[in-house]
Amino acid sequence: MMIMNDLKYAIRLLSKKPGFTILTTLVMATGIGLSVFLFSFLNSLIFKPLPFENGDSLIQISASQNGVWKVGTLNLHDYYEIRTNLKNLAEFGSYKNVSLNVSGRDGARRYSAVAAEPNIFQLTRTKPLVGREFTTADDQVGAENVVVIGYDVWQNQFSGDPKVTDQSLRINGESHRIIGVMPEGYFFPISAEMWVPMREDATRITRGAGGNVFGLAHLQNGVSLSDVNGELAVIMQRLEERYPKTNNGIGAYVSPIPQLAVEDGAPVVRSMQFVVFLILVLASINVGNLLFSRAIERGKETAIRVALGAPRSRLISQMLWESVIICTLGGIIGFLVMIWGLEVTEKTLISFTIDRPPFWQTFGIDSYTITLSILFVISAIIFTGVLPAWKNSGSDFNAVLRDGTRGALGKKAGKLNRRLVISEIFVSMTVLIAAAVMLVANFRATNADYGADPKNILTAQVLLIESKYDTPDKQTQFVKTLESSLQNNAGIGDVMISSALPGVVTATPTMALEGKEYTKDNGYPRANYIITTPGSLEKLGVELKDGRYFNSSDDGLDKKSVIVTDSFVAHHFPNESAIGKRVRVVELDGDEPNWLTIIGVVKHTIQGSPIEEPGKTPSVFRPFSQAPRGQMTVAMKIKTDVEDVTRTLRQTLASIDSELPAFNVELYDETISRLTAPMLFGAVLFLIFGTAAAILASSGIYGVMSNTISQKTQEIGVKRALGAVEERITKEFLMAGFNQFLWGGVPGLIIGCAMGFAMSQMFGMGSADLLFIAIGLVIVIGGVVMLASYIPTKRALLMEPSAALRYE
Amino acid sequence: MSNSLIKLENIKKVFYTEEVETHSLSDITFTINKGEYVSISGPSGCGKSTLLSVLGLLDTATEGKYILAGQDVSNISKSERAKIRNKEIGFVFQSFNLISDLDVEENVELPLTYRADLTKDQRKQMVKDALEKVDMSHRAKHFPSQLSGGQQQRVAVARAIAGKPSIILADEPTGNLDTKNAEAVMQLLDKLNAEGATICMVTHDPRSALRTGRKIDILDGRIVADKTTATKKAEGTFTPAAKSALIEEPSI
Repeated sequence: MMIMNDLKYAIRLLSKKPGFTILTTLVMATGIGLSVFLFSFLNSLIFKPLPFENGDSLIQISASQNGVWKVGTLNLHDYYEIRTNLKNLAEFGSYKNVSLNVSGRDGARRYSAVAAEPNIFQLTRTKPLVGREFTTADDQVGAENVVVIGYDVWQNQFSGDPKVTDQSLRINGESHRIIGVMPEGYFFPISAEMWVPMREDATRITRGAGGNVFGLAHLQNGVSLSDVNGELAVIMQRLEERYPKTNNGIGAYVSPIPQLAVEDGAPVVRSMQFVVFLILVLASINVGNLLFSRAIERGKETAIRVALGAPRSRLISQMLWESVIICTLGGIIGFLVMIWGLEVTEKTLISFTIDRPPFWQTFGIDSYTITLSILFVISAIIFTGVLPAWKNSGSDFNAVLRDGTRGALGKKAGKLNRRLVISEIFVSMTVLIAAAVMLVANFRATNADYGADPKNILTAQVLLIESKYDTPDKQTQFVKTLESSLQNNAGIGDVMISSALPGVVTATPTMALEGKEYTKDNGYPRANYIITTPGSLEKLGVELKDGRYFNSSDDGLDKKSVIVTDSFVAHHFPNESAIGKRVRVVELDGDEPNWLTIIGVVKHTIQGSPIEEPGKTPSVFRPFSQAPRGQMTVAMKIKTDVEDVTRTLRQTLASIDSELPAFNVELYDETISRLTAPMLFGAVLFLIFGTAAAILASSGIYGVMSNTISQKTQEIGVKRALGAVEERITKEFLMAGFNQFLWGGVPGLIIGCAMGFAMSQMFGMGSADLLFIAIGLVIVIGGVVMLASYIPTKRALLMEPSAALRYE
Repeated sequence: MSNSLIKLENIKKVFYTEEVETHSLSDITFTINKGEYVSISGPSGCGKSTLLSVLGLLDTATEGKYILAGQDVSNISKSERAKIRNKEIGFVFQSFNLISDLDVEENVELPLTYRADLTKDQRKQMVKDALEKVDMSHRAKHFPSQLSGGQQQRVAVARAIAGKPSIILADEPTGNLDTKNAEAVMQLLDKLNAEGATICMVTHDPRSALRTGRKIDILDGRIVADKTTATKKAEGTFTPAAKSALIEEPSI
């Protein structure tokens, strides 16, 4: 009954001041909504265990480079060394991503697939829906070709035929018997639609002939990831000493598969979580302060209640109900907006990949999100309600009743307010530096110059069937035929063929420069190694800086010419011309060094994310005919329309080889947009967080300081009565504000810069950028603090001293 | 040479709100001479505190002329008013109005810090003298919250006299105090007046009013009586409360 009375009273008080109620509710909705959104988003993206039995212990072993976690494959022999020597992992398995060309009556189609060791399904504790999983017999060289297909392939290609295991698929020009169908939604490890045996055994092949794989395993009970990574570091160090030529700078690390998406961006993820948590703290401080001010305003009323015998618990309960209502309402609004945000996010993330997104990424309400929301609402209630209620209910009410002055209560309130302001300044400085670093980095990435003009170009990928195109001559001949056939078509302008277009991540083998000695400590540098047909760079708009582009004189396996980017020159030949200098690709050398002469220098092209290492890595281009390969990207200038060019490409490919599909067909600028989409998404996300933080921080600082100064109106009156001139009082309050700015701002600046520095290292931002951000924010937050001191002081000074003395 | 310290001529104070025009003071004219001990009395809302605010340059009159220490202060700027308040006027408020964040010494020093012509040593000496006068030296490092009401008011008096002002304006100085503490504060003011200080005190308390040399009665914003307390006693024009206070008046 008492509780109902208190609740009714709180509702009455809140409805009497609708502006206050709406403002505080929206502030809490912002704080709770944003923080739950980001925690839920990150949980679904990277922290949620894979949806299998023991999914939380399933990890992937990947290669790192110079200590940088980069999702790279391990040399097969290195993987075997790890498997033999690593004690803290169990149930090893390995796989590699492959593209399968599947041909049938209606043409050829490419599927994302995985070539794996036979235990891949056992690792995920998942049985096929139809048929069987792999056996060790399937993995033997010379065994019958078999394939396990995904649920969607089964439904789309075989209409869910239960006797599908009696049928075969023609994959990469060879017949494969279907032995099983995996359950719906199974795309392990990321987005695979088919699985084939890997059939690579390190014990039967030499080190140089081995392929590259990702390792899989389960963590032993009680073993942490850092334990395993420590053990791995020792093993990889040993391998580096044994094989300095191939393993220089190569390490390995384990990580749950979803967390691989962030590579070594864990500090950024933690920073993001910290930032949104601080936004929630900011919102709570603001609402707490507003409620505390109201409690002070009602000090006399509270004093009367005490005089009438109200126990302290009742007073706290009464004051607490306002927080409960505001935080719960804010929580509900924030939760609803967050659900909408997650839906939008899911749709946005689908556009990041041309294939399907990772199978575990489902965004929406789950038990984690609900639990977190409830937890945040309860924390907000405690933060905004309990502390001010406790503090206010314990004041000297006798003094309040006796003379009506603020007395001891005013002093306590003043102290609390000062602490609130300092906390707000500290939190806002930290949050805004972190948010600004991420915002600037992401916006820069979005607007980066990839080095090519992507307008009006259609791109597609082609993967030659290994068994058919098993010699360099056959591969070169195919490319020449394709290029001339496409070029002769009226709907297509320029044709460019390359292993990777600017913007797309590519392999970075080790390089050596003639005349330079490489020791273990000064390892071989790496560069993007891109194979391209003569004329492609020019047609793509990659600007020539020195020398010449490739031409027909560079054609032939016996020719040895390369073009490098100006970033390569700046790094390796500062202050001299690179033309005529020689480099070699260490990993591709045979018994003798294969020196390649630099014949041209082009502008830097970004191969991968511009905010990460690959984007800054210099590139080396080589003519296709000198180093042919089976995988290529075909880029065509569109003269007619996209459909026409796509149709022409497919027909041309079919006329050359009916088993070759064109896949990942899309406009080049769409490729670039897709590549920059995560950064744009990050930029928008941080723009929202940054704006919310800035508004909450500014309004909070202003609110608390204004409140503090308002509570000092009487003191201002006293000082004026004693003869203080307005300038003196204004200066005094500005100094007090500045003092609080120093107390909160300096630690905030230190922690914010530390976080910002860690993030700027990740994003490749210079110290000057961080300094600029820090100075900018010192000016902005300092300005807010000074304004928050100046305006209320000026307002109080507008009163006659006599009025200020009587101010309640 | 004129002995008058304060001269008010036809002072009016009107408060304007959206709908109402309130005449708080009307045609107030009187003079206070140096060394005088004046009380201003009247019922609640009669305008005595407004009058004290005008006298103390805490508020401006709507009309009329105010001469303080020979200077016309009716239409001076805010900063000039502040300077005059600082040098010429000492305030004692009903609710003490000490700054809770400052200790006793700092509170007393506060008005002196607004003067550019005093060195730190001079200020310290003046604070010491003032605290000695009110017998609060032993509490110099205490904060207001650590003092009783009477002690706080004595500190407020010390703050008022520290800068050696021309006049002390006291607004119900005993209003928040018990009888014993009120008596101590009144004795302090009597002593200061005896030493030559000019004091103008607003009070409800007939006993306090009787201790002054002159009593101005205000009703509805107008002066209804302005007589020496000796004359009043002789005329017997005291209210019943004042009469009873007179009978019980303790010997000072």
